[in-house]
Amino acid sequence: MTLPPSPRVLSGACVLALVALGLIVWSLVDPRPIPVIVAMSIGQVLGTLSFVAFLSVVARDLRARHSLVEPKKAATGDSAQP
Amino acid sequence: MRQDRLAALLHTIRPRPVQFSGKALGGCLFSHYQPLTIAALGCAFASACILVGFLVIRPAWSTVTKAVLLLGLGVFPICAAAAGNVQGYERTKARAFCGNCHVMTAHRDDSDDPTSTSLSSRHARNKLFGDENCYTCHEDYGMFGTVLTKLGGMRHVWLYYTEYRNTTIAEAKETIHLLQPFPNENCMQCHSTKPKLWLEIPDHRETLNDLRADRISCASAGCHGFAHPNFRPARDATLDPAKKAAGTL
Repeated sequence: MTLPPSPRVLSGACVLALVALGLIVWSLVDPRPIPVIVAMSIGQVLGTLSFVAFLSVVARDLRARHSLVEPKKAATGDSAQP
Repeated sequence: MRQDRLAALLHTIRPRPVQFSGKALGGCLFSHYQPLTIAALGCAFASACILVGFLVIRPAWSTVTKAVLLLGLGVFPICAAAAGNVQGYERTKARAFCGNCHVMTAHRDDSDDPTSTSLSSRHARNKLFGDENCYTCHEDYGMFGTVLTKLGGMRHVWLYYTEYRNTTIAEAKETIHLLQPFPNENCMQCHSTKPKLWLEIPDHRETLNDLRADRISCASAGCHGFAHPNFRPARDATLDPAKKAAGTL
């Protein structure tokens, strides 16, 4: 089974997103000043952080794959020369 | 006094019932008047299912997993936040929202009262103002008016929780005042001061320049009266005959 490059970061992103979603839902079902302000400030920040963390994991994964492919290409290119 | 403080504290910390404007139907809240709320809750639920599923199952790191996580961490939360923000912003315009702080309850109740003859209540009965009469009158107009109004509202919330949270309603009438005088420009968004009929009123004609320059307030004791019956501007001795007589103000 292939594991994500940073399982901890990914789990953290999921937890952050769940907290952010909880704050958004809180503001929807109880629209008083504090829930609305918390959801529109802290909720947004946590949600954005979780998405950025996910994107960073995907970017790291892509970079790792790219760096694995490049040496192979280089190796095949070297052997192809007479 | 102590009971007042306790009541104010309870008002702040007491859990409230879920406030949908829809109807309770078969034990479920059915809020067909607020499609954005349903959309936001649906997106949040879908996202939560994906995220909890990922945390529990821990699937292999494949393209499908990435695509599903993109939905769970990106698309659905962004939709939920966008719909929630719009809904939250709309909620902040409602009179009920302003009346959440106990020091505003007297003003809110007056606006809710269909028999009240105060300026604010009469405006609340106008369809153009309706349930959003606080926001409509106190909104700053102009290019950044909405943003500035909401920033001012944030300041109100901050001051409420840091200074006025335990203030009794009786004390609030004495201690809480407007940051700046209410600008006539807000009145003039509707009452432009230009129609012939308006200018035919002698008081309007005589004070026209002062009104437009904010030297005289439309909502003052000598003109249309204060908008709220419980309102008492700072350092205005004319409203408190006892203090005026005692020379305390």
